[in-house]
Amino acid sequence: MAVTLPDQVELDPGSDYPLAAHRPELLRTPTGKPIDELTMQAVLSGDVAAEDLRISPDTLRLQAQVAERVGRTQLARNFRRAAELTALPDDLVLSIYNSLRPNASTKQQLTDIADRLEGEYSATLCAELVREAADVYERRDILA
Amino acid sequence: MTSMEARPERVLDAVERGEAAVGIRPDEVVIGISPAFGDSFTKTIVEIPHAEVLRELLAGVEEQGVHARVIRYRSGSDLAVIAHAAARLSGSGIGVGLLSRGTTMIHQKDLVRLSNLELFPQAPLLDPETFRKVGRNAARYAKGESPEPVPARNDYMARPRWQAKAALLHIKETEFVTAGAAPVELDVRIRLADAG
Amino acid sequence: MTAEPLPVSTPASKRTEALEERPVNLDGFVEEWPEVGMVAMDSPYDPTPSVRVADGVIVEMDGKPRAEFDFLDQFIADHAIDVSVTEHAMALEPVEVARMLVDPTVTRSEVVEVAGGLTPAALLEVVKTMNVVEMMQALQKMRARRTPANQAHSTSARDNPVQVAAEAAEASLRGFRELETTLGVVRYAPLVAIALQVGALAGTPGALTQCALEEATELELGMRGITAYAETISVYGTEPVFCDGDDTPWSKAFLASAYASRGIKMRFTSGTGSEVQMGNAEGRSMLYLEIRCILVAKGAGVQGLQNGSISCIGVPGAVPAGIRAVLAENLLASTADLECASGNDQSFSHSDMRRTARLLPQLLSGTDFVCSGYSAVPNYDNMFAGSNLDSTDYDDWNTIQRDLQVDGALRHVPEEELLAARSRAARALQAVFAQLGLPTITDKEVEAATYAHGSQDLPMRDVLEDLKAAQSVMDRGITGLDVIKALEAAGYSDMAHTLLSVLRHRVSGDLLHTSAILTPELETLSAVNDANDYAGPGSGYRPAGERWREMKRLRHVVSASNPEEEIG
Repeated sequence: MAVTLPDQVELDPGSDYPLAAHRPELLRTPTGKPIDELTMQAVLSGDVAAEDLRISPDTLRLQAQVAERVGRTQLARNFRRAAELTALPDDLVLSIYNSLRPNASTKQQLTDIADRLEGEYSATLCAELVREAADVYERRDILA
Repeated sequence: MTSMEARPERVLDAVERGEAAVGIRPDEVVIGISPAFGDSFTKTIVEIPHAEVLRELLAGVEEQGVHARVIRYRSGSDLAVIAHAAARLSGSGIGVGLLSRGTTMIHQKDLVRLSNLELFPQAPLLDPETFRKVGRNAARYAKGESPEPVPARNDYMARPRWQAKAALLHIKETEFVTAGAAPVELDVRIRLADAG
Repeated sequence: MTAEPLPVSTPASKRTEALEERPVNLDGFVEEWPEVGMVAMDSPYDPTPSVRVADGVIVEMDGKPRAEFDFLDQFIADHAIDVSVTEHAMALEPVEVARMLVDPTVTRSEVVEVAGGLTPAALLEVVKTMNVVEMMQALQKMRARRTPANQAHSTSARDNPVQVAAEAAEASLRGFRELETTLGVVRYAPLVAIALQVGALAGTPGALTQCALEEATELELGMRGITAYAETISVYGTEPVFCDGDDTPWSKAFLASAYASRGIKMRFTSGTGSEVQMGNAEGRSMLYLEIRCILVAKGAGVQGLQNGSISCIGVPGAVPAGIRAVLAENLLASTADLECASGNDQSFSHSDMRRTARLLPQLLSGTDFVCSGYSAVPNYDNMFAGSNLDSTDYDDWNTIQRDLQVDGALRHVPEEELLAARSRAARALQAVFAQLGLPTITDKEVEAATYAHGSQDLPMRDVLEDLKAAQSVMDRGITGLDVIKALEAAGYSDMAHTLLSVLRHRVSGDLLHTSAILTPELETLSAVNDANDYAGPGSGYRPAGERWREMKRLRHVVSASNPEEEIG
């Protein structure tokens, strides 16, 4: 069976949401398991790891589509940034958050983070957010 | 609030003795008071006279055989900043910060500013006995001991009663801040008010 | 201080003596001082609304050119305000927008669209034209989710996990859809968070749990599946106070995406009074600054906001029209199309009459969470420093719901059911602790937690042992999956299944949408599939059918068929 990409699915929030109830066939764990395979038996036999209980980037993009169709532009954009961040390990996510605190980073450090987000993780929306922060922080004098 | 009526009224005389220096005695605690403490302001949020507050703090320190020094912090009204500055001026590295409304903190010079040894955030719950205990604990830290923290009191009705007044007092105190001014050494005398 | 001569005292009248005795006179009230921001919502120093767009970018807002924007202005202009409608929306008179808010024939989405183009100063002008009754009428239309819900605080003055588990079970059974805990001793967090989660499963399924901690630890517990959502992500209305909180709108927006990237529901927190409390209100009114917070939340793309002054309620509560401003914050969060967890969560007044008056606007209008922390424990155990309602107010709450036929999302539960759930929660936690090699919970503790009112009724625990075990939970990498396995192994299969379902919702992301809760059937109910459809009399959510029958039950109701008895 061909894998359906989230961009190819047209969701109707009225009939498709909640996806878990109405479109479970679209939902997979980041490790590629269908959501229906997350059974108690699988948990007990050790077939489900903590990584399986996470959301996948494809699912976040589907939910972004739902948000857009009910008029929630910013929420959708947040989901699209989140889809990019699914690829980052937890400690990197936390360390970027800390770097974005006031007076915590130089402009170069923020630019480097943005470059890395883009280059290593194809996280273009997140990179854009970090670059924008670097500019504002410079203007408002809250760089390190 | 408490049994203040039974206490004789005391007066605080604080004479400035120039810029405060880093202490060399390892057996001292530095008490840092806020810009308007005992000056433009005279009592805590629950009307304990500042003379009484300092008297109890000093007595608490001294009863442990430790020397106490008082400085006035002038360039800010943030408790953590004042307490940390006092700790850095202290020969033992232990300082106590004190705001006019009564909020108090024990600090140690090697801790980061936003940390502390003990914090007493609810000024309305600080009575003279608590200030004495704070002084006592500060002195024990200065001696290298690890005292049990002074029991924190909690009153969930303190907020509705005092929160807005505390905000006003904080804003007023901030008006007495002199940007860039160094802390000054104080010569403190607490005497009984003239009778009659 | 020089001694002043005593004023010639006139004796107080008996009337004055009686009034002086009233609890309301223990509350603090202060005079307005607009120059420093000690004013609720009507200040001569708030900016005048304006907007100018050039090449699709807002280049002037509320009288300030773009070059002078502080970081909140810029974030709001670039991320929150809908540039495509702003000039049209700003051309409307404030009172026209206010009328749209109140008029039931104007739909919620029409209002959301227009409001999406308004600047902070313009939104302030709109609510300034409204009295509290008009705001309540608007709020019942503007809240995002059709069905109101409620949130509980389940905490313990001794951070006792057994107590927290029993209280979580009772709270979920009474109807709360979210349970929040926090700690006296922060290091206790992993044990108490597990206890909250396990306890919640022993009551009505589907109550989501959170543990309020500093940002990084809160996120970690969430990532591990020990908690289900997060709320204490604070934002502030001035640049210096935002920086004092060690954040910026960009760091918070990034954090919002971080939570979503792990499938975890999250909302921001803000409220009137925090800036003046921290001495940096820049001479603006409390509500103007709060509107900036609301728009930062909107711009960050977070689904919701906890507001309504929250921990600073003593500040707006002390100034004229302060509680009107608090209602306006909730209304504007809802109008920004955000989930609103509407305060009523901090001790507010010594006066029962006054704390009820403060509650009614949110309760009567209905909000996504009427309380963002009804204390499910006696206030002496409330580690958020006390709530406006506590566990001794349950019967009053249920009676008010019944009197007015207004759904505050709680219900009366017979004693046997409560005891059974509390006992089961404590027993299950006992088993989970044993399975995970955590300190023993004795049968005596289970018994005490079942019948307790508060932590004073429980035996003391070995705190040092508990703290060591709490650290080991972190070190050993224990997750929600381990809790599921422990429950299943100990024979609490239904609870294990419920927790697996809750965690499985992360994979679907359904709970990330605005105002999402889980029903007792573990289905997602959010502003997407339960959108508020209020359109005047006869429309929108009204308690009826089984829910209304449930609301009619109280502790003591005389039976109609046999007036010598009470119905159960």
